[in-house]
Amino acid sequence: MKGRERKITQIVILIGILLLGGYAVGTTLFASDGDKPKIGGRPPAFENVADIEGKLHSLDDYKGKPVIINFWGTFCPPCVAEMPAIERQYQKYKDQGLVVLAINLSEDDITVRDFLKRFDLSYTILRDKNRMIERRYALRSYPTTFFIGRDGRIMDIDVGGMADEEIEQYILRLLET
Amino acid sequence: MFENTKCECGHQNPPDTTLCESCGKPLGEEALSDRPLEMRYDGVARRSQKKNPNLIDRVWNFFSSVKVAVVLIVITLIGATFGTIYPQENTFINFDPSYYEENYGLPGKIYYMLGLSHTYESWWFITLLVMIGASLVICSLDRVLPLYRALSKQQVRKHIQFLTRQRVTYAADLDGDDEEWTRKLGELLGKKRYRVTAEKTALLAEKNRFSRWGPYINHIGLIVFLLAVLARAIPGWQMDQYVGVREGEAVPIPETHYYVKNLDFEVEYYADDELPDRLKGTLRPKRFVTKAELYVCEANCGSTALEPVLRKVKEHDILVNDPLEYKGLKLYQFDYDTTPRLKAIRPVLTDLKSGETYGPFELSILEPEPEYEVGPYRLKLITRFLDFTVNASGEPANLSNQPNAPAFLFLIQGPDLPAEGETFFYFPIPTDRERFGQDLINGEMAERFDIRVTDMANVEFTGDVSYLNVRVDRALPYVFVGAFISLIGLVMGFYWQHRRVWLRIDDGRLTLGAHTNKNWYGLRSEVAAVLRAAGLEADPKSLDNGGRNK
Repeated sequence: MKGRERKITQIVILIGILLLGGYAVGTTLFASDGDKPKIGGRPPAFENVADIEGKLHSLDDYKGKPVIINFWGTFCPPCVAEMPAIERQYQKYKDQGLVVLAINLSEDDITVRDFLKRFDLSYTILRDKNRMIERRYALRSYPTTFFIGRDGRIMDIDVGGMADEEIEQYILRLLET
Repeated sequence: MFENTKCECGHQNPPDTTLCESCGKPLGEEALSDRPLEMRYDGVARRSQKKNPNLIDRVWNFFSSVKVAVVLIVITLIGATFGTIYPQENTFINFDPSYYEENYGLPGKIYYMLGLSHTYESWWFITLLVMIGASLVICSLDRVLPLYRALSKQQVRKHIQFLTRQRVTYAADLDGDDEEWTRKLGELLGKKRYRVTAEKTALLAEKNRFSRWGPYINHIGLIVFLLAVLARAIPGWQMDQYVGVREGEAVPIPETHYYVKNLDFEVEYYADDELPDRLKGTLRPKRFVTKAELYVCEANCGSTALEPVLRKVKEHDILVNDPLEYKGLKLYQFDYDTTPRLKAIRPVLTDLKSGETYGPFELSILEPEPEYEVGPYRLKLITRFLDFTVNASGEPANLSNQPNAPAFLFLIQGPDLPAEGETFFYFPIPTDRERFGQDLINGEMAERFDIRVTDMANVEFTGDVSYLNVRVDRALPYVFVGAFISLIGLVMGFYWQHRRVWLRIDDGRLTLGAHTNKNWYGLRSEVAAVLRAAGLEADPKSLDNGGRNK
């Protein structure tokens, strides 16, 4: 093969290998955790989720506001234990635009209704069904709480029950955005 | 400086040619020795060796080396063995990182930290595969082109040294006409299915040249195979997940727009007389099948509150290894759970003092009514637990959101009871009643009332759960194509051998040389047979001129 032709063929082949190989290796480096929500990333969207009165909510409805998304279940003691604390902090900061969405882990009507009778919660309780939202948020254990800034990005993720001080610190960070 | 590479036959060879492209005369270093000729690529210069290889040349030469390819393969092999030490992440349905440390201790922890729990998806393993792929392409290209050129333009009359230094060679003095001998030998070779190109007193007989392309076709197949495997990384090309569907329910298949409905699940067990002695009395499934329907969701697909709009697209009885298939999506029967769970019961209320029994009344576990009228009494439902337990603070709570241990707290109102009513705890499942001491909890009321299911016919269980394995693998057909091409290449290369016989007759002196890429034994045998048929004395051993392998 003539020198010039040969050189071009070599370059073309090497570039091809670089592109294909780069793509293949790239997917292993970046894809694995691609779907899980991470700090700095965007929270997975959800639309038309019912609250306890049957009204529908979408995550988009709260664009531009600081949002706390708390996943809870009646069968999860630490979830239950932190609810009064969340309510207290919500009362303190709701006038500054703070939104709390407490998404229940796909439990049935009676369980959720009866449970809520025991508490006086003013924040929004949403109902997940068939673990759809739970899966989208790749939850590993309960409770898990996502703190989302006004810019729509996840600022913090807390796994496990929280006390008043912790919640307050997270909220203050949110309100700075 | 310019080397004089012009052969004595007049042909100008490129530098590093070891056998003249035209007449085959040994050149350069090859000319100095006396050993059998190096016939790889027929002595054609394989690479233009520049004095100062630039980056591109260096990279190319690296991947063009067979030694490097072998090293890469060995490293990949060793790397692959690491993935066999502990079960890989993707073999679990719900993977938990603590699995390795919990089950294998410190080695397990290190294994997970090094990323060996997903060996075959790790960046270094894929990089090795990509390098092997590069090596496949570059090694093949670098060799097939010179080979093709060399084999396409072959000269018939070769230099005497070319013939005498072949690994199979023969010389003899002949009586008679040179041209006549040439024609005769050509005919005999033709009978052995050689393709003979003859000049007046020289000929080239060749057969099965196509076999030389076998290894390259094999490599093409391997490259297609490798690309197909890498293509699995394209989004949507591969899926392997599990869904559990209860009888009567339809569940969404995550990451798709499909819903699958379990109409009915049935499992048949082997009867005792079908089982060997040591298994008698055990529950061995003989056949289990899910009557399933596949739906496409057209609206409200991601919503938890609104009902999804579904359209049925396929139905199938899913058996083990008999999946429901639809547009590349496959649902395999994987597992099942027939653990009975209460769905509804029809208990009766007994007034222990009077002995009267009232009811039965329909009590749904999952969706109970707020109030029941049973005889003269009214049962108001205060609360219901699905999985009753007493928590750390001594309060009643739920252990999970599954109806494993249902419990009802009623307020009973009616005759001979205070106006505000009396509370009564009811555990439908007898073992729970014992466990949690229902009678103790109810105190005096336990002597007044009893709620009980009297007949198993009044118990309704939820349906069985069927677990299905959902798979998509769009790359698979291409994997098979690659494997098939590979096989063709292997067959081409292994079942036939490329044989060439050159001979020339100069004034009654016959000089013959022959070459093959494998099976020299067979070649010698065949050439000897041809010579004997021509009336010349020859036996296979005498043709042997030494060389590397037999």
